[in-house]
Amino acid sequence: MESLLWIIPVLPFIGFLINGIFGNKVPRSLSGIIASVAVLGGFIVSLLLFISLLGDENLSFTSKYFTWFHVGDLKLDMAFMVDRLTSVMLLVITGVGFLIHVYSIGYMHDDKDYSRFFAYLNLFVFFMLLLVMGSNYVLMFVGWEGVGLCSYLLIGFWFTNNNFNDAAKKAFIMNRIGDLGFLLGMFLIYQTFGSLNFDEVHSNAMTYAYGQPVLTTITLLLFVGAMGKSAQIPLFTWLPDAMAGPTPVSALIHAATMVTAGIYMIVRANVLFTLSVFTPEFIAVIGLLTALLAAFIGLKQNDIKKVLAYSTVSQLGFMFVALGVGAYTTALFHVVTHAFFKGLLFLCAGSVIHAMGGEQDIRKMGGLSAKLPVTHLTFLIGTLAIAGLPPFAGFFSKDEILVKVFASSPWMYGALALASVLTAIYMFRLYFVTFKGQFRGSHHQEEHLHESPPSMTFPLIVLAILSALGGFIGIPEIFHAPNLISEYLAPVTHFSSSYSARAVSHETEIILLVSTLLFLLVAIWFVYNKYVKRQAIPEPDEDIAGFGKTLAGKFYVDEIYTYLIEKPLNAISGLGYKFIETGLIKGVVDGTAQVVGALGLGIRTIQTGKTGTYLFAMVIALIAFMVIKFMI
Amino acid sequence: MSNYLFYILSFLSIFSALMVVLSRKPVHSVLYLIFCFFTIAGHYILLNAQFLAAVHIIVYAGAIMVLFLFVIMLLNLNAETEPHKPLIIKGASVVTGGMLLVVLIATFKSAAMSVSSPEFNSDLGMVESLGKVLYDQYMLPFEVSALLFLSAMVGATMIGKKEI
Amino acid sequence: MNTLIAIAGIGIVAMIADILRIRKIIFPVAMAGLAIAAFTAVSDWNTNTRYFNDMMFFDNYAAAFSLLIVVIAIIWFVMAVPDLKTGNHYSDKSALVAFSLAGSVVMVSFSNLAMLFLGIEILSVSLYVLAASNKNNLLSNEAGFKYFIMGAFATGIFLFGVALIYGACGTFNLQEINAFVATNKSDLSGQMYTGVLLMIIGLSFKIAAAPFHFWAPDVYEGSPTTITAFMSTIVKVAAFGALYRLMAGCFSQINEWWTTVFIILSVVSMLVGNIMATRQSSFKRLLAFSSISHAGYMLLPLLTLSDLTGTSLLLYGAAYAFASIGIFSLVSVMSENDDESIDSLNGFAKSHPIKAILFSVLLLSLAGIPPLAGFMGKYYAFYAALKSGNTSIVLIAIISSLIGVYYYLQVIIAMYKPTGHTSASFRFTIYQNIVLWTCFLITLILGIFPQLIIGWL
Repeated sequence: MESLLWIIPVLPFIGFLINGIFGNKVPRSLSGIIASVAVLGGFIVSLLLFISLLGDENLSFTSKYFTWFHVGDLKLDMAFMVDRLTSVMLLVITGVGFLIHVYSIGYMHDDKDYSRFFAYLNLFVFFMLLLVMGSNYVLMFVGWEGVGLCSYLLIGFWFTNNNFNDAAKKAFIMNRIGDLGFLLGMFLIYQTFGSLNFDEVHSNAMTYAYGQPVLTTITLLLFVGAMGKSAQIPLFTWLPDAMAGPTPVSALIHAATMVTAGIYMIVRANVLFTLSVFTPEFIAVIGLLTALLAAFIGLKQNDIKKVLAYSTVSQLGFMFVALGVGAYTTALFHVVTHAFFKGLLFLCAGSVIHAMGGEQDIRKMGGLSAKLPVTHLTFLIGTLAIAGLPPFAGFFSKDEILVKVFASSPWMYGALALASVLTAIYMFRLYFVTFKGQFRGSHHQEEHLHESPPSMTFPLIVLAILSALGGFIGIPEIFHAPNLISEYLAPVTHFSSSYSARAVSHETEIILLVSTLLFLLVAIWFVYNKYVKRQAIPEPDEDIAGFGKTLAGKFYVDEIYTYLIEKPLNAISGLGYKFIETGLIKGVVDGTAQVVGALGLGIRTIQTGKTGTYLFAMVIALIAFMVIKFMI
Repeated sequence: MSNYLFYILSFLSIFSALMVVLSRKPVHSVLYLIFCFFTIAGHYILLNAQFLAAVHIIVYAGAIMVLFLFVIMLLNLNAETEPHKPLIIKGASVVTGGMLLVVLIATFKSAAMSVSSPEFNSDLGMVESLGKVLYDQYMLPFEVSALLFLSAMVGATMIGKKEI
Repeated sequence: MNTLIAIAGIGIVAMIADILRIRKIIFPVAMAGLAIAAFTAVSDWNTNTRYFNDMMFFDNYAAAFSLLIVVIAIIWFVMAVPDLKTGNHYSDKSALVAFSLAGSVVMVSFSNLAMLFLGIEILSVSLYVLAASNKNNLLSNEAGFKYFIMGAFATGIFLFGVALIYGACGTFNLQEINAFVATNKSDLSGQMYTGVLLMIIGLSFKIAAAPFHFWAPDVYEGSPTTITAFMSTIVKVAAFGALYRLMAGCFSQINEWWTTVFIILSVVSMLVGNIMATRQSSFKRLLAFSSISHAGYMLLPLLTLSDLTGTSLLLYGAAYAFASIGIFSLVSVMSENDDESIDSLNGFAKSHPIKAILFSVLLLSLAGIPPLAGFMGKYYAFYAALKSGNTSIVLIAIISSLIGVYYYLQVIIAMYKPTGHTSASFRFTIYQNIVLWTCFLITLILGIFPQLIIGWL
């Protein structure tokens, strides 16, 4: 099996090369197919790997290609490693990725940069695969940066629009702030354990006692990296802005795969996280706050993609809470189901936008269920899944998180349950406003309403089936059925599970389950009343007042950041510009003319030079150095 | 005796060097510079480097400075065309220069100048011994400095050539 | 040594080519000569020969740096040849370039302070003239003049340092100075330390490290673009080679003493370079400031001398130089339009989609995004600094490289913006295409296989 590993990332890379180099010379019909087939190939190999990993629980495939670099005692191999954790991620990336590629063939059909789009998409898949398959932290970091870059390229795909470029830049820079943390964490890991290979670091870490300060520092730094990539407070604002990209991109990168990289990383390093004090609690709190904040903001957004974006942020918060309480497999379970239903919802949104001719404001939609039957049905399934109603996928994973959270802290459970109720509210609001009631768009749009082509509806149907049934891979214990995914992933978190074995009794679990369900139903009923019975339409922006305004304004986080970070930074560089460039240099002296004249070289025409001052500054620097070195 | 000579020569060379910078007329500056070179040649002689002293006078004072004089005279530079330097610059330069001086003195004050006094040999500075060192031990730098001069020459021709 | 002879040979042929009316052979001769130089540099590997009473010492670092310089020079020459050919001074300019290359080879292989001084001077004198080589352009004249004045000043400081060291130890030879320092480590005089400081400052002028960087933006902006490319790549690599050789060869014993100097230089360079670069509207000026910041990163491995120092300098130098030359091939095309502002790049991606990607990759490499060469360079530089325990410096470096990403991205975004009111057309010659692709491939390959460089030393 080892010999097959390289095929998985190389196929998308070949696709990237073909589409990237030949560009528009590749026939339009072909470039989408090439890209999709490349990912499908990866999926098939991943499936083979998955099956062969089913047997032995300690089995993992490692394949070393060459020594990447070797300095002093640091030796890094270019090597892939696939264990059970990786294989799950591989299936999600290539499986959902393939569907989104197929969808894109239809969605991007009229775009003139068709092949460039697929080239980027394939490149993204390549880096994502690198991220999950790398056998050491550096390789993971390469993938980590690579997906960030691709996300930047794809957000700014329609580069003709300046706002989109700004969104792209924001995403990139926020990600870089996170990367700073990751990088420092990596350095510290190396300093502590003398290696960056997963195997060596983690087996070495197991010998450490619980609560070493260095572990806390490492894990906090790594978590900063995860904050950036997985859009957690305070680095979450880029994700909603990232919706500027084409919708399949939002589905693939900003819902199903890239943003879950942070979760993958923490699960991968679960040994370190389990052994550190403070970090897990910190993660849980941040995750909880993010889940709540984003859910609140989601209540008042009217852009179909923005709602989904905030719901993604919120769901990622759920996953981090799970990680924080040590429920690593549960978090990953939610990653999988989330990939299904959030991918589905985004693709549906894309289909709606496609039908509406680019309109994204839900206040101008309504009553689309008749015209877009497939989209409507699949969207409903997605909504039910994300809201967490049985037997859809979200129910199982979210319930598992809630139960695990309750075991460690009841008040946290309460807050998270509130977030999950809010999720149901804004999702059903979105669903009702978009698909029920009267059509509120222009006449022109109404005439052109149409169901999307099969290449777009096919992925919708497949994902809808997965969203509906996907949850059964992780049935709660109370139903006395095997929890497949948690068993499959058990070896990965073997070490950690021995540490945090807190469980709730079956009775409590049932109570929790039923009470959440009740709350959900009440909430949905309430939303149904408001938007379907009373046909309420979200008010226009200028009429929003009070707390609603704060919500619609996204808690003004962006403005706060501008005020706290951007302004001072600009001021500093402006100050430097003023003082050093113009003030100090120009102000003290206004030209070299003196020097020039004195030397009489006939280049007297240069009046603007400032050489005298430059020399002046150099002498002062020289004096400063001598004073520092000899007198202090 | 040579002690007194050293102090006189040092005073003169510092004085003339200062005057190069301070005098208003470019021609005076050049003349002071020539004088400065002479005093330095005097130092060379004190250091028993007669050949170097002679070469120094011939090349610098004789050839280069005369060329400078010509150029300055041809360009007709004089005090009136000299742009006026604001007082603040003069003040700043004096302060900075003074600071540099103070700092250097402070660093050298503690420095016990390592005096290595080899046996006195009056032939040391003559052409013969210099030539032996130059063409034996310092053969390569001597050759490489040819490259330096060559590049300076090519550069000068290029800058000086009239554009057609 | 043979490398030096081969390169000097190119210079002499180029110099007389105009007189003999064989200007056409300059380019082939230069290529052949550089190829021979590269070959001889390789053949000097592991020979460790000392030449002419230990004036030059061709150890592996000297060979590696020489080879790097020669390879950069080959690519540079291909890029610059159309520009060199315009005007009447093809042969003069080529000769000067060859001479300054000879100077840089001397700088990385000296074993005697007199040789170092000569190397620096040969390099600089040629460059003063080259900076002013666009004689009809006022800015170019100004650049040459400024560079000359300030360079002379720096040389003076450097020479003062050399003289003080000679006064203290009575020798110019690196080994002997090192032995002197080692035996008298406890009671070195202030004279010696002053000499070291002044030499460091003289060299930091050449590498354009803040606060001795003031000349760089003006000179980079004013000089003809190809010459700017030369200055920011070959000169920088050579000066760092010299700095490393000097510090490792002579003063490794008093490492703790001069580390603080390098820390200040490095931190100030990184901050000044990166912060000022964010404010520039001219691409060339932006690159000037970014080159100042790169000098700051390259000083990091020098903080503590170890096996890693030379290696990471070499890797960083290569990554930086190749990416820069590739980018300068774009700037040289922009210069032909007489518009070097970043905004003039608007619409570039539309007219040259593939080139836009290549340039983006090169810019990202400078910004230090994996898996490109620039990342590897930074990684090693930071790693070397971290190993010597300068964690806070590395933190500053990482933060300032974060600022760096911002302005490199600005350029990329400018390329991907639609055309504004001006629609500059970009005409790439075949030479520039070759350079661009070569630099791109090298950047990519070095990022994935940095072992190609670090595996050797």
